[in-house]
Amino acid sequence: MHSHVDAGPAPAGAAGPRRLDRLGLAMRASHLLFGFLALTCLIFAALAWRTGDVFYLRLATEALIFAGLALSVDILLGYTGLLSLGQALYFGLGAYASAVTLKAGYPVSGALGAAFGLSLAASLVGGLIVSRVRGVYFALITFGLAQVAAKAVYNTRELGASDGLIGVPVMPIHLGVATVSSDSPVGFFLFTLAFMAVLYGAVAYLLDTPFGRVLIALKANERRVPYLGYRPERARLAAYVLAAIVAALSGALYPMLRGFVSPELLSFTTSGNAVITVVTGGAGTLVGAFYGSLILTALRSVVGSWTSHHLIVIGLLFMAVVVLFPKGLAGFARSWVEDRFARTGSL
Amino acid sequence: MIDYLQFVLAPQMITGLSLGVAVVLVALGLTIIFGLLDVINMSHGEFYAVGAYLALSLGAAGISFWLLLVLVPLLMIPIGFAVERGLIQRVFNAPDRHTTTLLLTFGLGLVIEEVLAVIYGPNTQRPPTPIRGAVEVFGVMLPNYRLFLIGFGVAVMGLVALVVYRTRLGAMVRAAAYDRDMAASLGVPVALVFAGAFAFGLALAGLAGVLLAPIYSVFPTMGRDFILLAFTVVIVGGMGSIAGAVVAGLLLTQVQAVSSLFISPVWSDPIVFGIMVVMLMVRPQGLFGRLGRA
Repeated sequence: MHSHVDAGPAPAGAAGPRRLDRLGLAMRASHLLFGFLALTCLIFAALAWRTGDVFYLRLATEALIFAGLALSVDILLGYTGLLSLGQALYFGLGAYASAVTLKAGYPVSGALGAAFGLSLAASLVGGLIVSRVRGVYFALITFGLAQVAAKAVYNTRELGASDGLIGVPVMPIHLGVATVSSDSPVGFFLFTLAFMAVLYGAVAYLLDTPFGRVLIALKANERRVPYLGYRPERARLAAYVLAAIVAALSGALYPMLRGFVSPELLSFTTSGNAVITVVTGGAGTLVGAFYGSLILTALRSVVGSWTSHHLIVIGLLFMAVVVLFPKGLAGFARSWVEDRFARTGSL
Repeated sequence: MIDYLQFVLAPQMITGLSLGVAVVLVALGLTIIFGLLDVINMSHGEFYAVGAYLALSLGAAGISFWLLLVLVPLLMIPIGFAVERGLIQRVFNAPDRHTTTLLLTFGLGLVIEEVLAVIYGPNTQRPPTPIRGAVEVFGVMLPNYRLFLIGFGVAVMGLVALVVYRTRLGAMVRAAAYDRDMAASLGVPVALVFAGAFAFGLALAGLAGVLLAPIYSVFPTMGRDFILLAFTVVIVGGMGSIAGAVVAGLLLTQVQAVSSLFISPVWSDPIVFGIMVVMLMVRPQGLFGRLGRA
C-alpha cells in the first residue's frame, strides 16, 4: 500500500491521453476483474436458467447482496484504514427500512429511497461520534453501536422483536425498458447484479477522485494529512457516510429476495462475516468484496453439506489469509493484472 | 426506605459487585495485553469461555473446585504462549499492527467458539455451585458463593497490582511497555515478557470463567456477551491501565446493576455503552494512564 502512495503521478507530458498513476492503474485492474466477475455471473445465470435451477440462483443473489455489505466495509478498511466491526448496523437498517416500506405497499424505488434516507441520517449522527476516533477505538465503537442497535431491534415489538418481520410482498421492479418481479430467480439475480455493478461503479468513481486520494492518505499517514490542507475528521465522516449508504442500499435488497428480515441481519455475525469476506477477497481492491463473497458462499455451501460447523474451516482460512496473504485473493490477482498493464501500457 | 435498601438495593449491588469482580479479571487481561503488546485480543471472550468449559469438564471428572481455581489458569498459560508465539508474533510487525492483530484474534475467536460447540454441543450447561447457603448481614441475605467470588477476585487483583508495581518482574513488564527497545537493550527478555503477559492475560480470563461458570451458564458463545462489557471497561478505564480496569469495571457494573432496578435490564447495555461514548468524547485517554506510563 505504501509503495502505491509514494509512487506519485506518472511523468507528465507523455504521449497519448491521460497517463494513469499507480492508483489509477490499480483501479483499472479492479474494473477488469469486476468485468470478468460480471461475465462469469452472466454465464452462470444463463446456465441456471437453462437447467431451471432456483436454489443456486437464490444463493448467488444472496452472495451478491452480502458482497455489497463487504464493499462498504472495504471503503472503510481498505481505503480509509478503519476497521468497522459493526457495519451490519446499516445493512440491517436498510433491510428493515425496505421491509417496512414494502409492507406498507410502496414500490421498490420507495424502499430504496427509505434505505438511502435513513442511512444518510443515521450515519451522519453516528459519524459525529465515530469520525472523531480511529484505530482500535473506531473498531470498538462501531462494534458497540451495532450491538446496541441489534439489542434495540430485538426488543422492539413494532419491528417484530426476535422474530423479525415476515411476509414482505413480492414486488415488480420497473426498470424503464423491462419489469422484473422480485420472485423471479433469474430476473432478480440479474437485477441484483446490475444494482451491484452500479454501486461498485459509483464507489470506484468516488474513490478515484481527489476525495478518494485523501482517504488513501489517511490510511497511509494520518498525521501528514492536515499539513496538506485536508481535515481528517471530515474525510473520515464522508467515508463513513458513504459506507453506510452502500451497506443500507445492499441491505434493502435482502427482504425482496427472502421475503423477511430478522435481527440476525444486524448481529455481530453479519458484521464479522463482511470483514472476513473483504479480507479474504482482498481489502482495498473493491472488487475483492465480490470475489470474497461469492467464493466464501460457495465454500460454505460445500463444507456446510458435510458439517454444520463450517465456521471452523472459514475461520482457519481467514486466519491463514491474514497471516500469509495479507493482500487477499483479488489483491493477488490485481497485482498481476496491474503489472501487465504497467508493462504493456494498455490491456 | 430502609426496606428498600435492605431488600432491593443491597442485594442488587452485591450481585453487581460479584459480576464486576469477574469483569475486572477479564478486563485486566485485555488491558495488560494491550498495554504491553499494543494488541487488541478479540478472542479474549472465547478464552474466558474456554476457562469455563475446562472447569465444567474437569469438575465433572471429579477434580475439586478449589483445585480448579489454580489448575485452569495454569492450563491457560501454555495455550497463551502458543497463541502469542505461533500467531500474534507472525503479524506483530505488519504495517498496521492494530488492525491485523485484531483481525487475526477475531478469526481465532470464531474458531474457538465453533470448536467448543463441536466438543460440548450448543446447549447451555451449568456446573454445581461449590459453596451453598447464604449469610445474613444486617438483615440482608448474601449468597456465600458470591461473597467468596468477591473476596477471591479482590485478592487476585491485589496480587496482580503487587506483582506489577512492587516486584522486579513487574518492573521489567512496565519497562517493556514503556519502551520496548530500551528495555531490550538493558537486558529485559522482551519477547519472553510479551508472551508471558499474553499468557497471564489468558490465565485471568480463564479464572473469570471458572468463577462465573456456577453463576451464569456455560455455552459456546458466552464470551461474546461478556466481551463488549470488558472492552467498555478497558476504554473507560484507559487502554492499558491496571487501576483503570479495576475502577471502571466496578463502577460500570454498579451502574448496570442499579439502573436495572429502574429501567428494563435490556437497556443496561446501552447505558454502559453510552458512558463509553461520552468518555471518548470528553476524555479519550480514559480515566487513568497506560501501563508503564502511570
